[in-house]
Amino acid sequence: MTPLFRKPVIFAFCACLILFSSGIAGAQQTLMMATTTSTDDTGLLDYLMPLFTKDSGIDLKWTATGTGKALKLGENCDVDVLLVHAPPAEKKFVEDGFGINRRQVMYNDFVLIGPAGDPAAIKGKTVKEALAAIRAKQSVFTSRGDKSGTHQQELALWKAAGGPMPEKEPWYVQTGQGMLATINVAAERNGYTMTDRGTFIKYEADHKGNPPLKILVEGDQVLLNQYSVITVNPARCPKVKADLAETFSKWMAGERGQQLIAGFKLLDKQLFTPNANE
Amino acid sequence: MSSGKPPIFRIEALQQHYGGRRALFVPHLEIAPGAIVGLMGPNGSGKSTLLRLLGFIEKPSSGLIHFKGRTAAPFDPRIRSRVTLLPQDPYLMNRSVFDNVAYGIKLRGAGSDSVQRVHRALAAVGLAPAQFARRPWFALSGGEAQRVALAARLALEPEVLLMDEPTASVDAESAERIRRAALAARDQWGTTLIVASHDWSWLFEVCDAVWHLYAGTVFPAGTRTFFPGPWEQAGEGAWRRRLADGQWLIAPAGTDPSAPAYIESQKLILSRAPMVEGSRVVLKGTVLRQALIRRTGKVVVTVGIGELTLTAVLAPETLRNEGMAPGDGIFVTYAPEDVSWIDSS
Amino acid sequence: MEFLLDGFVQAIILLVHLDPETYSAIRATLWSSSAAMAVSLVLGLPAGFWLGYHNFYGKHALRTVVDTLLSLPTVLVGLIVYAFISRQGPLGEMGLLFTLPGIAVGQAILAWPVVVALTATAVESMDRQLSITLRSLGADRRQLLLSTLWEARFGILAAGVTAYGRVMTEVGISMMVGGNIKWATRTMTTAIALETNKGMFATGVALGLVLLAIAFAVNVSLSFLRRQVR
Repeated sequence: MTPLFRKPVIFAFCACLILFSSGIAGAQQTLMMATTTSTDDTGLLDYLMPLFTKDSGIDLKWTATGTGKALKLGENCDVDVLLVHAPPAEKKFVEDGFGINRRQVMYNDFVLIGPAGDPAAIKGKTVKEALAAIRAKQSVFTSRGDKSGTHQQELALWKAAGGPMPEKEPWYVQTGQGMLATINVAAERNGYTMTDRGTFIKYEADHKGNPPLKILVEGDQVLLNQYSVITVNPARCPKVKADLAETFSKWMAGERGQQLIAGFKLLDKQLFTPNANE
Repeated sequence: MSSGKPPIFRIEALQQHYGGRRALFVPHLEIAPGAIVGLMGPNGSGKSTLLRLLGFIEKPSSGLIHFKGRTAAPFDPRIRSRVTLLPQDPYLMNRSVFDNVAYGIKLRGAGSDSVQRVHRALAAVGLAPAQFARRPWFALSGGEAQRVALAARLALEPEVLLMDEPTASVDAESAERIRRAALAARDQWGTTLIVASHDWSWLFEVCDAVWHLYAGTVFPAGTRTFFPGPWEQAGEGAWRRRLADGQWLIAPAGTDPSAPAYIESQKLILSRAPMVEGSRVVLKGTVLRQALIRRTGKVVVTVGIGELTLTAVLAPETLRNEGMAPGDGIFVTYAPEDVSWIDSS
Repeated sequence: MEFLLDGFVQAIILLVHLDPETYSAIRATLWSSSAAMAVSLVLGLPAGFWLGYHNFYGKHALRTVVDTLLSLPTVLVGLIVYAFISRQGPLGEMGLLFTLPGIAVGQAILAWPVVVALTATAVESMDRQLSITLRSLGADRRQLLLSTLWEARFGILAAGVTAYGRVMTEVGISMMVGGNIKWATRTMTTAIALETNKGMFATGVALGLVLLAIAFAVNVSLSFLRRQVR
């Protein structure tokens, strides 16, 4: 016979393989969530989830992607619950019967950031004026370009600013990547971009409080970034753990979740404002 | 030979084609158990093909091979490890000499005596087990490797041992060891030996029968000389072919001018002086080799004429009377009507 | 530039301090790639032997197909596997999405053509006399396959190392099928992609170096294996 298993080393090698294969987690109640990169990148979920698991006994796992893909995963019944921030798309998602019980849980706001030199001189302007100035100056503006909540918000702002939607203009750079990557591209190109405040604070923290890009426009009403929790519709997706999703959704919108959100700080700055009760 | 026993091999209408070319055609042949058959013929004549077919390594394109009265095919469990082939360039597996020899025994399900069998087989080919058993495959000379390969076959105590040029590329000592080991297998277990070889000491001293192969055709019993084509017209009913030294071969007209012809060795007359006798063909050549056919007491003589080598079989007294020694000039005489055509259809 | 040096320092810190997140990702990487290799070897070795050993009509075309599959884009494999194991897909019942076995399925598909093609090449390059020798010593079909693979073991080990390298360093399948879930399906490569996306280049470099170290460890143990099976 072929002496495949005669040598002890080969046997040990196979034993190692088997050892690794014992690595599947035990059967706890597991809730699967799709969320956006901003909640994951800022560390909010790393902060909240152990506390949620302690309170509820539910093990929450999440995959962080753009809102577009998160909604698609919900549509395909691959996740139980969504934590996303693109209100118009969310409303359509619920209207189409893909989700139920959309609950607003918190917001942060978007800001326009750019180099300290501010070549298009947008500092202190309204969003509408600022975007018009960037377009007029043809200053570099980086966009997520990935159908994420942030990207959809940015497009809405361009639309509100009037004029043709920027698409192929040389100064309009679509990265197709996450928020922090997009900020980094803007920094490299000495350009402007729009980001949620939470990600920007994280970016500031990464640069020891002195980043190359600064907040230039903020506080405009149109820059509000609303996050909601949506349960994937169990009528369409029978395998969805709707009860666990509801538990999570209520916990986030409830007193405990809201307090914790308010208490999540980076560089002593609050990143998200709870607003479930509004 | 032992005509009472059924033949160990019976071949019927056996054909083997490679890519549309016919490599071998054997209408009918039988081999008696315990026989020693020599296969003789130039390279590419079909010797190796015949051995692979008899070893059930390949499937024939058509035809049947009966082994001990029943048809058999490759992977037949009845055949495996009873019929074994020693190929021309034996392959040793990347493991020790012992494991190479033991491989076949282990496949069969090793008995308790497998170690002794391996050692016996090594000793039979003249390799001291203590010295060679643990050697890796790459630490062997060519002759030693060939002997290890033979030992691997002998360890099976096979009923049929097929050998393809077993001594072609080894030194004289290894050749002698291989010959003795194969003959010992025949004496000990009645193993049928079928050997393809250019080696006259095999063909004429050891073999019970020598089969001549030429262009895929087998001519059992008796040696022959083959005349390859192409032929040209030489008057009414005759064809001729020019040899490199300017002499002409004459043959009766055939059907295919590119076909080879042959003449049986007994039909060639050798003489020191030219014979002038009517329609016969007389060619001048040089004696190359002589060898005794131990079984019949006759002598094989080869004569070089142009690019051809003719094989004649003479009585020893003819040889003595005529005083032919290698290097002597000699006249070969034959009758054109004794030349036959190889049916290439 | 300085993030390269930072990354190097950080890599050592991660390994020495037994950083739990890093070790979780190492474990996920080793688990999924080893499982993928086991599956692709079991399914790929006989197929590679068959393709390399036999001559048949259309063999050349089949080789071309297999060779083309060597260039399978990982994202395409990820999407195809996702389509099948999504809860809406035909294999949704098995619950493989966002699990390490799910990643392993995709990676096995990625590794399979590598194993088949390189095994076929290794078997093809074996001496023609090997088959004659094995069969003349009484090997049946199964023994012929096993002994030929054993004789070609160095070529096959090389096939394994190549395929292992490909599955261990791919991102597309792990990201698409695994979902980059922390403590569960976050592999070394998806962690690198995540950190890079977050602009944490030094951490990305550190994790990349750790992955390289794992690859080194795997190769060292395989070359040890190679010496053992001489």
